[in-house]
Amino acid sequence: MADDPKNGSAAEQDALDLDFETMELKVGPSHPATHGTVRIQLKLDGERIVWSEVEVGYLHRGFEKECESGLYYQAFPYTDRLNYVSPMINNVGYALAVEKLFGVEVPPRCQYLRTIASEVSRMSDHFTCLGACALELGAFTAFLYGVEARELVWDIHDEMCGARVTCNYVRIGGISADVGPEFKAFVDEKLAQIAKLRKDFEDLLLSNPIFIERMENTGLLPKEQLIALGVTGPLLRAAGVPYDVRRAQPYLVYDKIDWDVPIGERGDNMDRFLIRINELNQSTRIIQQCVEQLPDGPVDLNDPHVRLAGKGRVYNKMEELIAQFKLVTEGPKPPVGEVYQAVEGGNGELGFYVVSDGSGSPYKLRARSPSFSNTAALTPMIQGQMLADVIPTFDMINMIGGECDR
Amino acid sequence: MAVGVIKIDRVSLKKAGGFMGINAMLKGLTVTGRHFFKNLFGWIVGKPQVFTVMFPEQDIAKPPSFRGMPVLVQMDSGKERCVACGLCEWACPVDCIHIEPGETEDAIERYPKVFDIDMGRCMYCGLCEEACPEEAIVMSSRIEIAAFTRAGTIWHKTDLLTPVDELPRRLDYVRRGYQR
Amino acid sequence: MAEEQKPAEAAEAPAPSGPASPILKRLVDGFGDKILSTHEFRGDATAIVDRGALIDVCKLLRDDPELAFDFLMDVTAVDYIGRVPRFEVVYHFYSLAKNHRVRIKVPLEEGDPKIPSVASLWPSADWLERETWDMYGVKFEGHPNLKRIYLYEEFEGHPLRKDYPKEKRQPLIGPGAVHKIPENDDLTI
Ligand code: SF4
Ligand code: SF4
Repeated sequence: MADDPKNGSAAEQDALDLDFETMELKVGPSHPATHGTVRIQLKLDGERIVWSEVEVGYLHRGFEKECESGLYYQAFPYTDRLNYVSPMINNVGYALAVEKLFGVEVPPRCQYLRTIASEVSRMSDHFTCLGACALELGAFTAFLYGVEARELVWDIHDEMCGARVTCNYVRIGGISADVGPEFKAFVDEKLAQIAKLRKDFEDLLLSNPIFIERMENTGLLPKEQLIALGVTGPLLRAAGVPYDVRRAQPYLVYDKIDWDVPIGERGDNMDRFLIRINELNQSTRIIQQCVEQLPDGPVDLNDPHVRLAGKGRVYNKMEELIAQFKLVTEGPKPPVGEVYQAVEGGNGELGFYVVSDGSGSPYKLRARSPSFSNTAALTPMIQGQMLADVIPTFDMINMIGGECDR
Repeated sequence: MAVGVIKIDRVSLKKAGGFMGINAMLKGLTVTGRHFFKNLFGWIVGKPQVFTVMFPEQDIAKPPSFRGMPVLVQMDSGKERCVACGLCEWACPVDCIHIEPGETEDAIERYPKVFDIDMGRCMYCGLCEEACPEEAIVMSSRIEIAAFTRAGTIWHKTDLLTPVDELPRRLDYVRRGYQR
Repeated sequence: MAEEQKPAEAAEAPAPSGPASPILKRLVDGFGDKILSTHEFRGDATAIVDRGALIDVCKLLRDDPELAFDFLMDVTAVDYIGRVPRFEVVYHFYSLAKNHRVRIKVPLEEGDPKIPSVASLWPSADWLERETWDMYGVKFEGHPNLKRIYLYEEFEGHPLRKDYPKEKRQPLIGPGAVHKIPENDDLTI
């Protein structure tokens, strides 16, 4: 530069030219500032994003192929691994889809327990999302409280099904095991502990000016555009659309319970964060009412074509033994047809599309995963925003690799 | 019952931060300070309040529903209960069970000559336990599967056999759903 | 239970007197024989639509105030191998205002798996159609950026087709990569 005899204005002109050169930045697939394996390609003009593309697929495992090659009941462990922070909701969604195919409905006690299971999983999902968001915005302590609360949530998982993450709890026509008489006291105790931790979590973050500054007015997208992009769940509700599958098309016992759908008005990341906090509250309400109203009775369908009989009957009766052999080796055989069943997952509408050809394994099993559609909306959300806004926006989208990439 | 729609409130939050966030700062310090002193005091009096445990010296309390590694139930006679019917092999989604049936002169004449489970593949799903018509394979609370070689994660019949009185909790749990 | 319901459906299927659901009625009235058939199994309204009429049907679904399907929830395909036509592309729609759903299916011949893209009507179709292309090899004509979404460009074949063997392995990062899978690859032990 020194030996270049340019006048001042030309040098300025050069500097301006330099300004117009964009920088390419690739975030991921494994990057400390994001959770989930995804690659975000960005073109930056200074701090501003002028172009971006999201690449998914790093966690693609062939969920559908795997399920289509097994029997109906063997798909449950795989559905656990869709959204692995809310495994029970996936279990419930898949079971409801296959039961719809059969045209059967499970007994009321089972419906209540499934509702509890779904809400417990939703709490786990939201705690993970909120905690991770806090962590990536620099609030490590808040993350620890969130994860501690999640551990307590998982204690309830553990009590219900025997595993903390890979639940495999729900079965076609029932659930794997009933809960004991101490269940209500256990849940109440855990919920009280969780509520305390949630209070600490909120105290740390919600009035913190740094946190609010980073969340407010970032990742905005008008609701018409969100709908066109197929975005559902907390992201859509934050923009003021009260769409929740549990309310719009109630399944299980959601229409017998008192609860509210929280909505926001602006639809920025702060709204999304608050919606999730509020949904934790609603989930607690639902669980409390469900354990309160939990009816007595069987949890499994008494139908040898759908659900295995209890072991006591299998040991002593010939027919049940034969039914057990048939059901395990051939799988339950729903009638020919196709169904789509939607449930409200942690991040939006989780749908299962099952095609049956009358045999014991699904001819086609498709999961409509909310994370997939939501992640597609990242590009328009960060267009023209600052680089630092990518992090909270991506956190609030809560892309779960297992569900997005299947 | 009613499902309502509520609007979340975010105006009050901003105010709660106070001038330059001073309130928020004090609140945060109170919360972390409370946790710190609780843990410290617990440590001093010998009743630790920390949430984590020092695995493997300590372990968490596992509920009876806990699903660890699948094991074979050994009867008091020293024989396995399994009759090599092969249902668990069928039910296993990842095909990690391998059985070769054999015959003896006993009252129950079928038994598994070979019963291997590849614990490196097993995902502790419990479908084998549910499929078994003999209560011969149950999920124990064992969780340590580490081995130095790939072949070391394959557990043979002798490794899997567990005396019936070591598994009362799980068997009771399984029997709870007997008459459903 | 399952046995009880089978005869009922068998009786339902051949009755061509017109669908019960108002959505399907609206479609049949508007498009006549472009709607190849309709059925309602377990309350899921389904219309099978000719490929040529897909865009018009979609426009009606979106713009008609009676239907008002503003959400395209899902796009996928099913491979009915051995059947003619072999493929079926399946769309699931949801209407926020009317709170109803419909499923549109478009049959495609094996030798000519091409279908017009609906990405201009619903932007959500962008990724979903890319996924369907990746997994089933159905070409969406007029799609702005039709490339594989999960797998890499060098991947051969479309894994969710029924004739793609489940055990088949391909190099993980495309041909020419250093990492090669050995011939006698036995990972079970
Ligand atoms: S627990 Fe599941 S994966 Fe493991 S052996 Fe049993 S069925 Fe197979
Ligand atoms: S299902 Fe039970 S009895 Fe049959 S082979 Fe397996 S462990 Fe043995």
